[in-house]
Amino acid sequence: MVLIGNNLAIKTTSHRVVLPFYFYAALSFLVGTVLLFDAIPVFSGHFFHPKLLAVTHCMALGWGTMMIMGAAHQLVPVLIEGKLYSNPAAYLSFALGALGIPLLIYGFYTFSLGPAAQWGGIFIVAAIVVYLVNLAMSMAQSNKENVHAAFVFTATLWLLATTCLGLALLFNFTTLFMLKDSLSYLSLHAHMGIVGWFLLMIIGVGSKLIPMFLISQYNNAKLLWAIYILINLGLLSFVFLNLFTAEATLLLFPLIATGISVALFIYYCLVSYKHRIRKKVDEQMKLSLLSVLLLLIPLILLLLVIGSLLVYGTQHPTMILAYGFLVFFGWISSLILGMSFKTLPFIVWNKVYHKQVGMGTTPNPKDLFNGTLFRIMGFSYVPGILIFTAGILFRFPFMLQLGAVCLFISAVFYNWNILKILNHKAVKA
Amino acid sequence: MNERTNNSIKCAMALTALYQVFDPELGINVVDMGLIYAINFNENDKQIYCEMTLSTPFCPMGDSITQGVKNALEQAFPDYSLSLELTFDPPWTQEHISEEGRIFLNN
Repeated sequence: MVLIGNNLAIKTTSHRVVLPFYFYAALSFLVGTVLLFDAIPVFSGHFFHPKLLAVTHCMALGWGTMMIMGAAHQLVPVLIEGKLYSNPAAYLSFALGALGIPLLIYGFYTFSLGPAAQWGGIFIVAAIVVYLVNLAMSMAQSNKENVHAAFVFTATLWLLATTCLGLALLFNFTTLFMLKDSLSYLSLHAHMGIVGWFLLMIIGVGSKLIPMFLISQYNNAKLLWAIYILINLGLLSFVFLNLFTAEATLLLFPLIATGISVALFIYYCLVSYKHRIRKKVDEQMKLSLLSVLLLLIPLILLLLVIGSLLVYGTQHPTMILAYGFLVFFGWISSLILGMSFKTLPFIVWNKVYHKQVGMGTTPNPKDLFNGTLFRIMGFSYVPGILIFTAGILFRFPFMLQLGAVCLFISAVFYNWNILKILNHKAVKA
Repeated sequence: MNERTNNSIKCAMALTALYQVFDPELGINVVDMGLIYAINFNENDKQIYCEMTLSTPFCPMGDSITQGVKNALEQAFPDYSLSLELTFDPPWTQEHISEEGRIFLNN
């Protein structure tokens, strides 16, 4: 019997809650690369296209959001120092999301935004409401307030706002009830998701995990609060500007606020890295740290987009396409590709070996995945990103095809390794 | 040896067993990691009282690590019953890592 100070048994989130999210996200990444290949002919046109909407939502919801929500069910108890309020709620959240996402993607792909897509959107919003309530109840139970928990909770509020706006836009396509047409709100919808959900969530969790994995002595809550305020201020100002003014110059304010917050987070990661006790940094961690730097590239592209708007008075569709591609396939994907192999092997190892620890030799968690497959994944992923981005910018179809094939290979090897981990059976080392 | 004990000989035996319990992420054993706070023995009741911590509360690997400590001590002292207490007072910090542990992590 394991007791803690007040005689309560310690309880972490069950692996059963988390593993379906990982599996679903991995499949979505594979589907996302297939949809990307299929969408190559439309990359020379405007970003508002059914095939691009399908690939974007597959990557944003099926890949990024499902993976982060799954990992969050395991990591939130670490952040808030309290147990997850409800496992059944986590299952329900998964089921609703898993049902809604393909319906929505199918609706976008065929551009039939009727009942199927609308029900898909409703299921997705319901999944996030259930997740948010579970998170709020877990936090209410723990009574521990910290900056990481604030990031995670606020990020989930932004996710809910993003999906509610997305759902409204979906209905607005068929029955116009909003002040403007749905296309006018796309930028708002996208940035609430990219900055409010992904950036806040990744910084909130990353600022806890990066020092934890590196065993770094660095801890700077004041800096993290400053980042938190800057991002939210920047995003709120963007919402206000988007809704109430068409003045492009003012868009520089949210961009600068977000840029400073990203620079501060990079500084936080660098200092953590410098003060680490653990000198050897593994490949998974290197890929995750690389993703923090990769965030700078879309920010620079966004600056160019706004610059083009200021100088020429028009948007630059190629830059916008490259920006979107680098956010979902570059920044978010590189982080997940690295962090998947930093978290999933431990969850499965815990499931398989926790009763055998201390009774003889067991494999290490990193032995649960194949290092060669991981390297092939990385070696096809990095050129895939670079070649595809160059293909968008130079409008060169062969580069787009080559880049998409590299990314597809990367997704195949990622899925292969994920399946290998999920199917791991107990062995003696 | 930083761990508190009322029986240094048996404590040394217990630590030898606990050197085989590793933090799966870091590959360092729980003793050098500084997770073991106290090991006391009650010879009358044949009981071991072990006080330990984790690097963070609700650590996802916490269940495995505490189970490993339990398994190792029960194997080393089959005639004793074990009372394992998990505490976060004081909380674990990097200062708890032993010199050997630091050398291991530096390489």
